[in-house]
Amino acid sequence: MARDRPDRPEAFSEEHCVLCGRCLEVCPLFAATRREELGPRAKALLAQLMEAEPPLTPRPAAARLASLCLGCGRCRGVCPQGVDIPDLVARLRREHPGFATWVWEQALTRARRTWPLAARAAGLAPEGLSPERLGLTLKCLAGLRPGQGPGRWLTVERFPDQVRGRDALLFSGCLAENVFGHWKAAARRLLDGLGARVAEADWACCGDSLGKAGLARAQDRARARNIEVWREAGRPLIAVFCATCLSGLSDYAQDPGLFADRAEAEAWISSLAPLSGLLKAARFVLSPDAPKAVAYHRPCHADRADSDFELLSLALGPGLVLDTRGQCCGFGGVMQLAAPGLCAEVAARCWQALSKGPARTVLTGCSACVVQLRASAPEGVLVGHWLEIIS
Amino acid sequence: MKPFPKELSLRHKRFLGRLFPGDACLLTPEGAVAFGADSSRCFAPPFAVVRPERLDQVRELLAWAQAERMPLYPRSRGTGMVGGSVPVMGGLVVSCLRMNRVKEIDPDDFVAVVEPGVVTAELKALAAEKGLFYPPDPASVKISTIGGNMATCAGGMCALKYGVTRDFVLGLEMVLPGGRVLRTGGRSHKNVVGLDLTRLLVGSAGTLALVSEITLKLLPLPESTATVLACFGSLEQAMAGAHAVFRAGILPAALEFMDDMAVKAVALASDPPWPETPGAVLLFRLDGGSAAVAVEAERLEKVLSAVSPLDLIRAQGPDEERLWEARRLISPASFQFGPDKLGEDVAVPRGRTAEAVAGFRDIGQRHGLAVVCFGHLGDGNIHVNIMYDARDQAQNLAAARAKEEVFRLSLSLGGTLSGEHGTGLTKKDYLSWQLGEAEMEVMSGLKAVFDPAGIMNPGKGW
Ligand SMILES: Cc1cc2nc3c(=O)[nH]c(=O)nc-3n(C[C@H](O)[C@H](O)[C@H](O)COP(=O)(O)OP(=O)(O)OC[C@H]3O[C@@H](n4cnc5c(N)ncnc54)[C@H](O)[C@@H]3O)c2cc1C
Ligand code: SF4
Ligand code: SF4
Repeated sequence: MARDRPDRPEAFSEEHCVLCGRCLEVCPLFAATRREELGPRAKALLAQLMEAEPPLTPRPAAARLASLCLGCGRCRGVCPQGVDIPDLVARLRREHPGFATWVWEQALTRARRTWPLAARAAGLAPEGLSPERLGLTLKCLAGLRPGQGPGRWLTVERFPDQVRGRDALLFSGCLAENVFGHWKAAARRLLDGLGARVAEADWACCGDSLGKAGLARAQDRARARNIEVWREAGRPLIAVFCATCLSGLSDYAQDPGLFADRAEAEAWISSLAPLSGLLKAARFVLSPDAPKAVAYHRPCHADRADSDFELLSLALGPGLVLDTRGQCCGFGGVMQLAAPGLCAEVAARCWQALSKGPARTVLTGCSACVVQLRASAPEGVLVGHWLEIIS
Repeated sequence: MKPFPKELSLRHKRFLGRLFPGDACLLTPEGAVAFGADSSRCFAPPFAVVRPERLDQVRELLAWAQAERMPLYPRSRGTGMVGGSVPVMGGLVVSCLRMNRVKEIDPDDFVAVVEPGVVTAELKALAAEKGLFYPPDPASVKISTIGGNMATCAGGMCALKYGVTRDFVLGLEMVLPGGRVLRTGGRSHKNVVGLDLTRLLVGSAGTLALVSEITLKLLPLPESTATVLACFGSLEQAMAGAHAVFRAGILPAALEFMDDMAVKAVALASDPPWPETPGAVLLFRLDGGSAAVAVEAERLEKVLSAVSPLDLIRAQGPDEERLWEARRLISPASFQFGPDKLGEDVAVPRGRTAEAVAGFRDIGQRHGLAVVCFGHLGDGNIHVNIMYDARDQAQNLAAARAKEEVFRLSLSLGGTLSGEHGTGLTKKDYLSWQLGEAEMEVMSGLKAVFDPAGIMNPGKGW
């Protein structure tokens, strides 16, 4: 992978793009807007045109256009040439840092202070007073406070013994650390139930959004800090309940510079565990007021097996009626600040799919998806992280 | 005739902005260049891009464009292989992706009425939900549109049994330069009144009119399908296998072949479906009633067994896709052998296929270039991918020579320069190798009737 570091020789994968167009089939941004200039193929083409000597299109403007991307990674998954568009976008954002990137860095690296504040402010400020570009973000944040979730209607009757007595850390992610404290508390209770010995940890952001926003240095700092936290705790199990954080943490292994040696990188990967996976052998009971139909939104960053989905299908049985593969919620990280209108178009398309069935409750396993879906949900539809339904 | 404009004037921009409000008109140079290339990798920047959604917008655009002599380049998904949608003479790209409604799927009349921007696989899926079947299935079925398929007369795997796009287009609504609307054909499956303008338009590659609605013929969806992938030690054995199948009176829906290079390319780009690397592969699809398909598959395997295949892999239902995915991958995967490609899709009379493939491989060897042969064995349409590195002058020359030899050989066998991709930019210089003066003259005359100002997709060899 060509990482966005000036000190490394880079082999840009977009040079291998043959313009076959396979990636257009999966890009949620293209699907929602039907604007070919926003699709992955256009990004690869734009990058090639602006690198040409002399450039065939004005550089800064083309870079800005090409960096409009949700970072969902779907295009990378289908490209026969191995072109990595999210990586290209991160590089372009790094080389052309703009207002949006800067704001995002502020938001993520100082999340502790700014987010709860923004949440409160957004709840209080009349809609019209919010700065225009921050509109949707503020709306999201307004939707973040506890109490608006899907309700608790699932009980764990029996916990499995697989991690009983093992040392563990809980990686909650920026949102749960700063806004959704009750997710973190719920996850702690589950780990206690599982009998894991959980130590406190002062994690940094997983770094995923930082990297995609082109903030390589901030990402590197966050990654190094997290590895240090893990080392100091004696390299224990790390339970994660956000699909995007899990994917962001797994990506560390692709950057060998972060680890002492290969063995340590492998140890890191095997210590990462989705919380839902640890619960798979648990026995669940649905309470009588549980909704009859629940839809599942599959996060872009869920891995192939998607253990959150597996857990929910086991626990809810036939109550889980819909699973949106192929739909992106439209959160898009820094895109929330750079082009909130596009994010909203993608969210609207996602809701079209989610509204197909009878379900009025939507669950997912990614913090950002909860934020975006909650902010854009139709009247009367409840959205939450699966952790919220467990009493 | 006045020359084409060199750029958009302020007046032009004002007109376009009014007719295509909001993001339906794309004037920024960085936005427009993204529409400058298609899968042929030819590139030329347009002045701007417009995205009509309604017929009245298209009419007004074509009236204005004729008056201004503004070149227009219809474009759907831009997966064309010959540069058909590349704006070589400046002008406007007309993106049809927002004309993407499926207006009707009628199970009694067995027709579908769609706009050009509908993705072919989506139409197939919607038809299938109603028990109906739209057979054409180019390898780009998930990434190309009905509009593009119609304009290129796209072929596909099932052409062997069902025919190509042309065989399923019953009627068209189109807008001519000047803004006149023409409706040809209709929804009756038979129709011999007047000249067959529908057939003329199918395959005309955007050079005559902008098509705004397409009426397609549908069939009942076969109850069941089965796919058999047969691996052979050599291409000769594979050819013998195909021959045996036809002689036994079996007509598969599709019969594709891959030579050893295609097999290697797929293996390099993905996790291939075959256990050990074969020298050639045949891929059959059978369709029909469940019982009949089962019997036919047995029979097919028996006939093939007589020519000693290395492996026979049968799949039914969702598992079939994995076998077909390998076939769809060949085109992009052939870049494993070189950064540049001359992708030819010649066709020869069915009986000359084996001879043609052997000849193409010889040509590759003589020029020291990787040549990947695959395609529609059943109907003689052979994809010949000549892989090379354009930065190397010697390879450049060799590839160009090899391409010409491939053309000459196909024509000498009674074949054609293109079975399905068209001539566009990449083959326009060779038109006269196949078409006589009289034919060219009549074609130019027809073009002038539809498009007297020559604004529709100029610079192409159809
Ligand atoms: C991986 C891959 C595999 C392929 N496999 C096949 C195959 O098996 N068989 C095959 O035949 N082709 C194949 N192709 C080529 C290509 O997919 C077809 O030519 C397809 O029909 C193009 O459709 P499109 O929507 O991309 O059209 P575009 O590329 O956008 O346009 C193609 C042509 O149609 C014209 N056009 C588009 N819309 C209109 C309209 N509304 N009115 C008038 N003219 C219009 C354009 O001007 C252009 O000349 C393949 C391409 C790729 C990349
Ligand atoms: S799938 Fe890959 S090679 Fe094909 S157009 Fe997209 S980025 Fe380029
Ligand atoms: S990462 Fe997602 S949004 Fe970005 S170009 Fe690829 S498919 Fe589209």
